[in-house]
Amino acid sequence: MKFIYQDLLNFLSEKPSIKTLSEKLFQLGHEHKIDGEIFDMEFTPNRGDCLSLNGLARDLNIFFEKVEPFKIFKGDIEPLNLNFKNLSTVTCPKISFLEIEVEAIGILNAYKPYLENYFSISGNNKTNFFTDVSNYISYELGQPTHCYDANTIKNDITFKNTTCNKPFKSLLGSDINLVDDNYVFCVDDKIISLAGVMGGISTACSKHTSKVLIECAFFIPEAVIGKSVKYNLNSDAAYKFERGVDIRAQEKVLRRFIEVVRDHVSIKNIRIQSFEYTEIKKDSIPINVKKINNILGIDLKEKEYLSYLTKLGFNIQKEIIIPSYRHDISSQNDLAEEIARIIGYNNIESKSLELKKKVGRSFDNINRLKLHFVKKGFSEVINFPFTKNKEKNSITIDNPLDSNKSYLRTTLKNSLLDNLLYNERRQKDSIKLFEIADVYTINDNKINQEKKLGIIISGRRGHNYLDFSMKLDDLYMAKLLNKNFDNVAFVVEEISRADLKSKKKDKIFYTEILINNLSDQTFNDLKLDFKSINFIRYKSVCEFPSSARDFSFSIKDINKFDTVIDKLSNLNGKYLKDAFIFDFYKNKKLDEIKVGVRLIFQSDHGTLSDTEIQKSVNEILRLIIDMEGVSVPGLI
Amino acid sequence: MSSIDNIEPPSVKEVSGSLHPINQVKDYLLDMLADLGFEHVDGPEVESEEFNFDMLNIKKLHPARQMHDTFYTENKSSVLRTHTSPVQIRSMLKSKPPLAFTSAGKVFRKDDDATHLPMFHQVEGIYVDENVTFANLKDLIHQILYHVFGRDVEIRFRPSYFPFTEPSAEVDILSENGKWLEILGCGIVNPIVINNCNIDSEKYSGLAFGLGVERIAMLKYGVNDIRDFYKSNLDFLTQFK
Repeated sequence: MKFIYQDLLNFLSEKPSIKTLSEKLFQLGHEHKIDGEIFDMEFTPNRGDCLSLNGLARDLNIFFEKVEPFKIFKGDIEPLNLNFKNLSTVTCPKISFLEIEVEAIGILNAYKPYLENYFSISGNNKTNFFTDVSNYISYELGQPTHCYDANTIKNDITFKNTTCNKPFKSLLGSDINLVDDNYVFCVDDKIISLAGVMGGISTACSKHTSKVLIECAFFIPEAVIGKSVKYNLNSDAAYKFERGVDIRAQEKVLRRFIEVVRDHVSIKNIRIQSFEYTEIKKDSIPINVKKINNILGIDLKEKEYLSYLTKLGFNIQKEIIIPSYRHDISSQNDLAEEIARIIGYNNIESKSLELKKKVGRSFDNINRLKLHFVKKGFSEVINFPFTKNKEKNSITIDNPLDSNKSYLRTTLKNSLLDNLLYNERRQKDSIKLFEIADVYTINDNKINQEKKLGIIISGRRGHNYLDFSMKLDDLYMAKLLNKNFDNVAFVVEEISRADLKSKKKDKIFYTEILINNLSDQTFNDLKLDFKSINFIRYKSVCEFPSSARDFSFSIKDINKFDTVIDKLSNLNGKYLKDAFIFDFYKNKKLDEIKVGVRLIFQSDHGTLSDTEIQKSVNEILRLIIDMEGVSVPGLI
Repeated sequence: MSSIDNIEPPSVKEVSGSLHPINQVKDYLLDMLADLGFEHVDGPEVESEEFNFDMLNIKKLHPARQMHDTFYTENKSSVLRTHTSPVQIRSMLKSKPPLAFTSAGKVFRKDDDATHLPMFHQVEGIYVDENVTFANLKDLIHQILYHVFGRDVEIRFRPSYFPFTEPSAEVDILSENGKWLEILGCGIVNPIVINNCNIDSEKYSGLAFGLGVERIAMLKYGVNDIRDFYKSNLDFLTQFK
């Protein structure tokens, strides 16, 4: 919500700089950005009272005295004899209708500077004169009003709740089918306005409207909440009514409306009619500064406490009377927050806190289990629990993000399989993943929760000369699990590639274990030390393809062997992402040792050409191949 | 002269995998809070509306309860928890003050864009005792943030609004580029919530706080895109050893 700095200054007796004003707004909890001379405010949802120049100035009154810079119409107003029926006075306990008839609107050439500036600086679009005034009044005083072209309303107006499907065409022209509970204004049973959200096109004002009926109401927030989102009708009115407006503000607002109109065109007639269905109570809270001090941990004197509240508009009598615009205040804790805002959260001194119980966190079994797999080369993944696969005991999401996410998964298998295929597409040839997660199912309306461990493997066993030519398979998985989980029944399943869009030949194996089936002894056998966190600086993952180059070193001078291995184990160079020895062979016949090395290249900036890779290879391996008695057959 | 028979094969190092960075940060925060005296409690991710909303003073028509914000399941009979606070409520109902709990894990909101995910992780804490004040809360938050970001970190508190705390605050830290970054939410537990847990709010008061694990992880590791955590890319995951 945007506020023009100069407009806000008009409501303050002092003229603080934009920086000072910004600091005070932050202290009061009104987050904002500054764009030139505009405060782009983001209010917390409980502060509907601040959604106007007047409201914001009321809150700032604690620092800068508030003034009322605007004129209101003080003359007599003729009564309006409107046939209005309110069939839901609980929802709308107070409402006024003001009818203004003006001389020909066509002669209005330009708006006064305050009105013109509001549109030009804030960037809001002009619509027609009366709607523009309505928008300006809402900006100034926080009370939405709705303008009907009075000539379009010939019969009684009824405010009511409608519960069946009803068509409604908004003043923006959108066709809406109202469903479920809605509060509406009707004429002849046709909806002319969705209460508190937006009026209809059939009664909307135009540039030619010269007789307007202005509705100024108080709707309980519950009647409006969610409607604008539900029907995609974003409006300033809905935003304000959802957060609560001042039930006592209507007369002042309508008189200000008249004044602004009068400031622009000659008025022929003004008539008003107000309906108040319940007595508006004054809510109060006992004066208890001790309680406030106990909540905040401060030592504030009662006189100072009450002085602060007075500046915020609270009326101090035997009790603290809450202003009618402060719907967010109902308890001592609410008042404590007011005091904290005034003092400044950052100015409240910290007081040492030492908890009475000392617990210390034991290294739990799940962490023990995870570290066991990490040590074996597995990486942990976390997946979203949504799936398109429906099982007989699946939990259904009523409002999924999309139809592929309509159920909660009953197994970790599909998520892990997706993770595996994702990495295969990124040229990973040795994949070992696991996930531990809660899985939820439903049986006879009872929700069951189970913690599961899912493990998936495929590809080479490892990137070293012992494992490179061996595959991750069911035997590997069984051996891995049997060693520690010998008391647990598990099934190692081969996942067929037949239905997968994958050209890879490596077999995929998966198993899933219920954590509850693991005994304490199993966990105790996983003797692992706590791993402290290492906050590395993450390097962006490259999405360009990598290229592998294999080299076979022939070492005839055995004395050079250790040097060669040392150098091969510590290779680095341009574009080199990874390097490992994948083959080791003693050729006794030729009295030489063969060492196979794979170099993997990748660039952050694009796909590497053969020339670039070859250049890098030459630089990386030069020191080794220049050694006498060491050669790489085929390498130029 | 050496014979090739005497040559030892190159040693093979066991290459470890990696714990997920989000779980690492979550556990790191929980360990720190345990050292401060908070006991960790667990609870379900599929929750009732009563525990996820009602007990926490989130009224029936609060926007957070709308279908566009919360995932409902099985004809609105339950929700995917939108925070880990219901775990604390369940634990408070079974305990008497003084009590100090942490809850942590996955939470769900109906969001999915460049900066919001439908699932993320929270670590929350609550402490209820006699005479717990906002000044105590500030001390605790300072302890937490000094531990995570170092003693030099500049911290500011801002008024905020949560239905379950009053007063409520959001806490920012000053980043290296001079911008304030929102890092956690906290407040004095609303007496309505204390009473809902059958604890006398006239005698006891409480403080509560909640941290977004992804937020902390992004700052500590320098990850710019929250979605990277959930792509399961081995080039990403294996950096966090």
